[in-house]
Amino acid sequence: MQMFRWGFRSLCRSRTAGSGVYSFNGFLPVASRGAHLGRKPAEVPSKVQDFREYHFQSSRGVHDIRYQIDQDRKSAAEESVDPFALVSDELSIIGNRLRSMVVSEVPKLASAAEYFFKIGAEGKRFRPTVLLLMASALSMPTPESVAAEVASSFEKNMRTRQQCIAEITEMIHVASLLHDDVLDDADTRRGIGSLNFVMGNKLSVLAGDFLLSRACVALASLKNTEVVSLLATVVEHLVTGETMQMSANAEQRHSMEYYMLKTYYKTASLISNSCKAIALLAGQTTEVAMHAYNYGRNLGLAFQLIDDVLDFTGTTTSLGKGSLSDIRHGIITAPILFAKEEFPELQSIIDKGFSNPANVEAALDYLGKSKGIERTRALAVEHANSAIEAINALPKSDDEAVITSRRALVDLTHKVINRTK
Amino acid sequence: MLRWGFRSLCRSRTGGSDAYSLKIFLPVASLAAPLSQIPAEVRNYREYHFQSSHGLHDIRYQIDQDKISAAKEPVDPFALVSDELSIITNRLQSMVVSEVPKLASAAEYFFKVGAEGKKFRPTVLLLMASALSMPTPNSIAVEVASSFQKNMRTRQQRVAEITEMIHVASLLHDDVLDGADTRRGIGSLNFVMGNKLAVLAGDFLLSRACVALASLKNTEVVSLLATAVGHLVTGETMQMTTNAEQCHSMEYYLSKSYYKTASLISNSCKAIALLAGQTTEVALHAYSYGRNLGLAFQLIDDVLDFVGTTASLGKGSLSDIRHGIITAPILFAKEEFPELQAVIDKGFDSPANVEAALDYLGKSQGIERTRALAIEHANQAIAAINALPESDSEDVLIFRRALVDLSHLVITRSK
Repeated sequence: MQMFRWGFRSLCRSRTAGSGVYSFNGFLPVASRGAHLGRKPAEVPSKVQDFREYHFQSSRGVHDIRYQIDQDRKSAAEESVDPFALVSDELSIIGNRLRSMVVSEVPKLASAAEYFFKIGAEGKRFRPTVLLLMASALSMPTPESVAAEVASSFEKNMRTRQQCIAEITEMIHVASLLHDDVLDDADTRRGIGSLNFVMGNKLSVLAGDFLLSRACVALASLKNTEVVSLLATVVEHLVTGETMQMSANAEQRHSMEYYMLKTYYKTASLISNSCKAIALLAGQTTEVAMHAYNYGRNLGLAFQLIDDVLDFTGTTTSLGKGSLSDIRHGIITAPILFAKEEFPELQSIIDKGFSNPANVEAALDYLGKSKGIERTRALAVEHANSAIEAINALPKSDDEAVITSRRALVDLTHKVINRTK
Repeated sequence: MLRWGFRSLCRSRTGGSDAYSLKIFLPVASLAAPLSQIPAEVRNYREYHFQSSHGLHDIRYQIDQDKISAAKEPVDPFALVSDELSIITNRLQSMVVSEVPKLASAAEYFFKVGAEGKKFRPTVLLLMASALSMPTPNSIAVEVASSFQKNMRTRQQRVAEITEMIHVASLLHDDVLDGADTRRGIGSLNFVMGNKLAVLAGDFLLSRACVALASLKNTEVVSLLATAVGHLVTGETMQMTTNAEQCHSMEYYLSKSYYKTASLISNSCKAIALLAGQTTEVALHAYSYGRNLGLAFQLIDDVLDFVGTTASLGKGSLSDIRHGIITAPILFAKEEFPELQAVIDKGFDSPANVEAALDYLGKSQGIERTRALAIEHANQAIAAINALPESDSEDVLIFRRALVDLSHLVITRSK
């Protein structure tokens, strides 16, 4: 743990003035880019902190942790790590395996099922990346008493099983995308036509079911009933989240609590429960598995909150340049919910619905006047910090590869917060 | 003992005309001809192009006079398990209604369908569970044994619930229309919500099925039922997307029927056997029963779509052919009348074309051959029951008899 903390602190120090991806500046709300930090380097806390006051305070006591410095290890941690690059080879293997797993003897079903696993349509493969990094971050040294060949075959087997979780997770994710696109009448997805647009609603629904069934068969093959249970729960959560979104009554739509719960079900549950599954397959204790779960949960929530912001701001810092697809579909997200706390009159605008562009403009107007965007970013930062804490709470390891993967997981949280698309 | 029971069944009812009558196994058109000999399996006296490949013809059965009385009682398979079915129905109802208010209309559909189909699948599964129950060794204490049995039964009931949820989910998803048409047409909210509700409700049921499956803590059972879901999708896709060549193939049709109809019941029968602690071999017999029962059911379904409740052609709903779905009777007829192929190629939007096809069908042996194939499968189902390990338990025998009777009912039903 010593080395890791040092590594992180060094990260903060060496980049205070820079504007690279790991820049501390990146954690500040966009609107306050001009202000300095006004802090002496000696007091840079281990967690990311915003200098503006918000209505809510972080409830965690991480502000008080001081980190030690171990000068000897400076070089190892100075290397910036691209989390995606660390696992890119394995991702190719998984990609190939996924393509072979969704094969069907019925050609039309095969082309539907593999539609989003084809090269170019695979998406960023964010979830498998997280899971593979987590697997590496949790690997334990084999006891010396075990023979080398046995140890290596055991570890290889374990790794394959963990890769299987990544595949299963991706199949469940794509199945839910296919169905969501039917529910939303979406035309495009991942830069290409949505499957329902290209092949029709029915085939999309069937393809989603097919992927789900393949995921379940793969899940059963792991012969671990707890893992089966975790991922079955995820499937239920995905449906619950979608149902919550579709069927919210007026009161629920205005509730931040309802929104956060729905966001957990729809976005964070999959990644959190699969992280937990990775930990269980790694032979870790329940306590460690909970840390893995917490990392996934907080990462997922942070991701969704930033997603909400980007839907308004897009790749610029100004409001209204984003795709605005949430609000146009009548989906009320965190920024609006925060704005409504400041401007109760926003409620009547929301009630009118957003088919009328003038109403969208009115809502954006209030949003701009409010701190909705900033507060959402701050909440995302808070979750990112909780994710980092979870990594810090993992059992100490001397293994270089383990440390690098844990570092990469931390870096991922930075990326989630700083991304602009 | 079961074999004896079945033989007695055959003997005692040659003159009758009730559901168990041997006469019903004859093609309707040949009702007048007598049977010179009653073989152990049901045999048709007309020659067909295909012969049964199983060696059942040669099995001779023994008679045990003492047991005659037990087998004389006719058993209504559905009555045997009706109490348990209510329990299962209530459990299913509570699972769907309480969680998702907006999906209430989908839930209603679920129960309408269930009521209509007499809850066929759960019936088969509960009967199979009873047919496979093994006596507990005497060494085990009574309380332990009874709680163990109760637990096992609950798990098997759960398989029945899961199967029903999967079945209804697949119906809901099958009803989702093709995207292209509905997007251009202006759907009312009901129309649109209909599609979306169907997708969401189906997903909801599937997710419930997944969680229930996981709770059984038996990964082989998870695998079996997940495979069944994949098969349902495969079968439906096969039906949706046949090109001209596949449309005309009997092999493709039977494969599709297995996927769409028989896979779910066969895999869940196998799951019941595994949960009963039976060996793989016995589980395969259970699988075989379900598979053959399902295929027989579908083939008779195909016939009834043409003949309906009368013996004449064209009085059935004809919904298959009108939807362009080519079923076994037409495929058989086409073997005799190749010119039927041109009629099929024209499609069946025109009622005149439907009439033309019915015409050929009537001249051919299509209906009879389909019935005969159904009977062959029913016999294989019975053979699977016969292959189960012997049991001295009166109850077990009654349940096995009920499963045999079910295969008769599947063949003789008229709607």
